[in-house]
Amino acid sequence: MPAQPHEASPDTTIVIEEIRKRYGDHDAVAGVSLQVRRGEFFGLLGPNGAGKTTLVEIMEGLREADSGKVTVLGQSPWPRNVALLPRMGVQTQSSAFFVRQTAREHLCTVAALFGVGRKAADGALDAVGLTGQRDVMVENLSGGQRQRLAIASALVHEPELIFLDEPTAALDPQARRDLWEVLRGLKKQGRTIVYTTHHLDEAEALCDRVAILVDGSVAALDSPHNLVARTGAPTRLMIPAGRLSPEAALGIEGVDRVEEQGGSLVLETQVSGQVLTAVDRLTGLADVQTRTATLEDVYLELTGSLTGTGSDGDKNSEHQA
Amino acid sequence: MSAYAALTGAGYRAQVRDKATLFFTFAFPLIFLVVFGLIFSGQDVKQSGRPYISYIAPGVMSWGVANAAVFSVAFTLMQWRRDDLLRLIRMTPTRLPSVLGSRYVLALGVGLVQAVVFVGVALLPPFELDLKSTWPLAIPALIFGITAFLTIGVVIGSLADTPEAVAAIANCLMVPMAFLSGSFMPMDMLPSWLETGSRILPLRYLNDAVSAALSGRGDSGDIVLGCGGLLAFTVIFGAVSLKTFRWSNKA
Repeated sequence: MPAQPHEASPDTTIVIEEIRKRYGDHDAVAGVSLQVRRGEFFGLLGPNGAGKTTLVEIMEGLREADSGKVTVLGQSPWPRNVALLPRMGVQTQSSAFFVRQTAREHLCTVAALFGVGRKAADGALDAVGLTGQRDVMVENLSGGQRQRLAIASALVHEPELIFLDEPTAALDPQARRDLWEVLRGLKKQGRTIVYTTHHLDEAEALCDRVAILVDGSVAALDSPHNLVARTGAPTRLMIPAGRLSPEAALGIEGVDRVEEQGGSLVLETQVSGQVLTAVDRLTGLADVQTRTATLEDVYLELTGSLTGTGSDGDKNSEHQA
Repeated sequence: MSAYAALTGAGYRAQVRDKATLFFTFAFPLIFLVVFGLIFSGQDVKQSGRPYISYIAPGVMSWGVANAAVFSVAFTLMQWRRDDLLRLIRMTPTRLPSVLGSRYVLALGVGLVQAVVFVGVALLPPFELDLKSTWPLAIPALIFGITAFLTIGVVIGSLADTPEAVAAIANCLMVPMAFLSGSFMPMDMLPSWLETGSRILPLRYLNDAVSAALSGRGDSGDIVLGCGGLLAFTVIFGAVSLKTFRWSNKA
């Protein structure tokens, strides 16, 4: 785990130091230290049971850590801190609605719980694209609409810090992309977002930094870019077969390995820019594809599910060169 | 709008939109009134010479109001925890008294409407309840009763994690209590040891106070004693409910 200084600064929204939480003889969180910076989109990744939920609940003030220190927006979230709560927004379960209310009535009630008015509720409905469903009873909303209403419940009071838990889980691809825009908008407004997800593409697209939790500890913490760059997984260039001989390809400086696969000549390299330039000179770049390592490769390598196949092409992201 | 007002509004809308529950909340005690009223129509209780209806009407009404107060808050708290709605409220700056206060005012509203409907029916033939002039004193008695039984409901709603558990615990408590406190059976017909022993039951105090106010079975001293007893139960169960209240089902 990368060592970090842990002094709280005005640029830091969350500071957690050596947090431990034990259930029976199982260490749910085994000494986690990390900081979330102000305005940061921070992803918390990890397999089920890695301790993500417990860690987030400790940050939210829903659980007390056995040991360690948590500071959120300069305050301790535990015990229930009503001065801190209006500054935080927590996405609820998609079941947490006041029954037999319309979407708007539910959200107006939540707004009032935070001491803000109906206008805020309308704004939040609009932000998640539910204005058209405002008069639909919460029981009659679709899964995706319920999920968006749960997110709106976290945004209604315009908090500085927002906790989102799998916010796009029940959304179709279009709604998912639409929500990405909502989330990017929140970040642009300067809000800090802590976000747990299993969608690694999403974490890569949205997060400034991610922490990957494994067995209650931080296995990696950095920007998706740095994590991917550090894996050492090669970039694969795929050239239509017949355009370049394997021998000629191996002769290009920077090419580590060459193989023929599925109608392509696959060149593995750590210096893709240099090799692409050389390929451009030799055959041109038409129909040449590149596949780079992704956050998913890093994740699978760290969580141990992909032992020995960390750079498998199927897991790589594909781009037309 | 305050959190309290918003929660009360949401609770009110949820209540009036659930027509079936609303209907049975008011019809349930009336069914008992009809059953007992017809069985004992025109009969007097031997031991006191008073008509059965003068016992049964205030008794069944007290039980019906108490039952509704217990069940509504117990179900709501259990369901809110199950749906994670209490967790949502927990993450807002809303304080617990606002949450419970909103349920309290709703329970008071339901209880008082129940009482008015019930007495209205009991005055009709064939029941023909003889309403005494002291009847307005039943209102404070009912308010004290609803308060006491609401705190019991909060305890049950905090202990039970499923609707089945709420129904089991609340029924185990409320049905035997109806017989032992003189709601379903005139107190004057019960053995004297039970008459004394039933003083440990909150419904006994509500029954006594409401009976004294509506049908004159007792005097203003009984009403004061009833209200005092209910206040004591409120303090006891209020303290227990503060200990047992949980925002979430998770440990």
